[in-house]
Amino acid sequence: MEKAIEVINLHKYFGKIKALNGLSFTVDPGEIYGLIGPNGAGKTTALRILATLIRPTSGSARIFGLDVEREANKVRRIIGYLPEEAGAYRNLSGTEYLKFIANFYFRNKREIKEAVYEAEEISGLGERLRDKIKTYSKGMIRRLLIARTLMIKPKLAILDEPTSGIDIIHAYHIRRIIKNYAKNYKVTILLSSHNMFEVEFLCTRIAFINKGRILVEGSPEEIKTRYEARDLEEAFMEVARSA
Amino acid sequence: MPNALGNLIRKEAKDMLRDPKILLSMILMPLLMFPIMGAAISLSTSTIKEATRSVAMAIMKIDEGTISNQLISSFKALNISLIEVKPSPVEEAIQNLRQTNITTLIIIPKGFTENITSGLKGELRVYSILRSISLSEVAKASVVNVPISIYERTLVRRAIAQAFPDRDPENVLDPVDVKNFVIFKGKLLNVSPQLLQGIFMSQSFGFPMVIMLLLISAMQIAATSISIEKEEKTLETLLTLPVGRISILAGKLAGSTIVAAAGAAASLIGINFYVASIFSFMPSTSIDLAEVGLQLSPLAYLLLGLTMFVAIISALALAICIAVYSENVREAQSLVSPLSLLVMLPSVILMFADIEALPVFLQVVLYLIPYTHVVLASKAAFMENYAVMLRSISYITMFTILILYVAARIFMTEKVVTARFSWRRKR
Repeated sequence: MEKAIEVINLHKYFGKIKALNGLSFTVDPGEIYGLIGPNGAGKTTALRILATLIRPTSGSARIFGLDVEREANKVRRIIGYLPEEAGAYRNLSGTEYLKFIANFYFRNKREIKEAVYEAEEISGLGERLRDKIKTYSKGMIRRLLIARTLMIKPKLAILDEPTSGIDIIHAYHIRRIIKNYAKNYKVTILLSSHNMFEVEFLCTRIAFINKGRILVEGSPEEIKTRYEARDLEEAFMEVARSA
Repeated sequence: MPNALGNLIRKEAKDMLRDPKILLSMILMPLLMFPIMGAAISLSTSTIKEATRSVAMAIMKIDEGTISNQLISSFKALNISLIEVKPSPVEEAIQNLRQTNITTLIIIPKGFTENITSGLKGELRVYSILRSISLSEVAKASVVNVPISIYERTLVRRAIAQAFPDRDPENVLDPVDVKNFVIFKGKLLNVSPQLLQGIFMSQSFGFPMVIMLLLISAMQIAATSISIEKEEKTLETLLTLPVGRISILAGKLAGSTIVAAAGAAASLIGINFYVASIFSFMPSTSIDLAEVGLQLSPLAYLLLGLTMFVAIISALALAICIAVYSENVREAQSLVSPLSLLVMLPSVILMFADIEALPVFLQVVLYLIPYTHVVLASKAAFMENYAVMLRSISYITMFTILILYVAARIFMTEKVVTARFSWRRKR
């Protein structure tokens, strides 16, 4: 079966800094796969390579069989990427922003309208979508961005810290959006997070990553059992200690 | 995909034109600032004119001769408000006048008439009382010179009439009548070079000014358009959309051109109001620009438009290449501001001088700067020197292609995301 993601021995240097050190993992279609690790572990670098933003120094990465370096334009048509620190055009309204994005993916007006309607449903922002984005709270912007990422029905959604920096109510809403979307549309999701509860709630499989390589991989239950931990946090600490 | 490019251009223009900072600094400020400045200057000029019209003078006649009386009569004939004061010490007279609104005291000393009638110089003493530091006070003090010189000329004419009764005094005063002809662009014109100088000045100042304004604002807009994507964290999303990087660059260039053109139009409208209000009191020249040959031919218009187009594209691309290294709008503006020198230097120098008249070293430096060629092309347009225009267009186009290539390279690589300018020196 064709893998949704196939990362093989990925290395990435920024000058003398080694961000990725032989990262390898695969994700099956329909999975929600989580990358967990401390700051500077290489999670964002890995996601940026898969999102075609930066190039690996060596190694290869494929998304649904497409090489992220050589076939970057084709990859961009099938992915939706949400960076950790992302904004939206402050002087556009929420609806204008969604239409702007939808225009790149859909040819006819009906499809664009349907995508925007879908995004309105996902975001739950209702009438506020008519207001300029500069009037939105951080949580509202994040909901808008999640909706923008998912409305195009990507084959792979890459979400970097989807609930980072937002309050508990917005975070709760976003987690449910992601879970329901993946279930309803069989979308593959690759996400990174610091939040162990979030990872356990969302992911079918996770990988602990540190210093640019994977330390352990498996389903949350498998990892907890392997390290005789009550939760993922305990397991993560145990992995970090033994590494 | 043209649809994607259109989508990008619409977004760029909409987002920037709705930005209050851009709207205020690029469009509203020039639209309002120049007319307000013009109105202020026009108001102060009319205040000066009004002040000089209502000047009141005092005259102290110590000399009792006929010429003194004629002088006073000539003042009155010109409707100048004149008060005669009795002879007294100067300090005392000035002290008294300071309590009034009189600005000038003219003293006709003893022997004034006798000196003039006997062929010597007659002396007048004029005291100006300045009550504040302002142009209108100085203007009021100068008003007295007009009636004095009018009367002087009357005296001279009278003397000439006595000495040469059979001649017209005007012919004796101005014995040579100069008729001016100018040959311009091979055409014989019946105007003086001084008259043309005024028109030439407006052309040689006007065009470089407009070019300077347009290119500098284009650079600032382009720098803002890329740095705002970084500041607002929208760039990464934009770069992962299914649209070519070249389209993104083209969208930025086109969007910035639209905003820069709106800004330049606002500046031009503002400057037009400014010029109209400050020159409203000046007599207009009766020269037809087309007759003089200072109107552009359709081909010159076309070539000038082409020159401006490539120059704007290169300025935008240059600003984008540099602004990519910034992390926010403020940093981008600082990084790009030295580029204004490339525009200002040739514009300002060529406002005053022809490039061939400059030292060779400076000529070489100016010829290397692409924006020099925009000014040269604008000058050549009036002379219908199409070879110079084509040479300028070729040079700017080559430079534009080079800069576009560099900008495209930056956009095609991860540099567009990772590039940072470090103010700290590397150790």
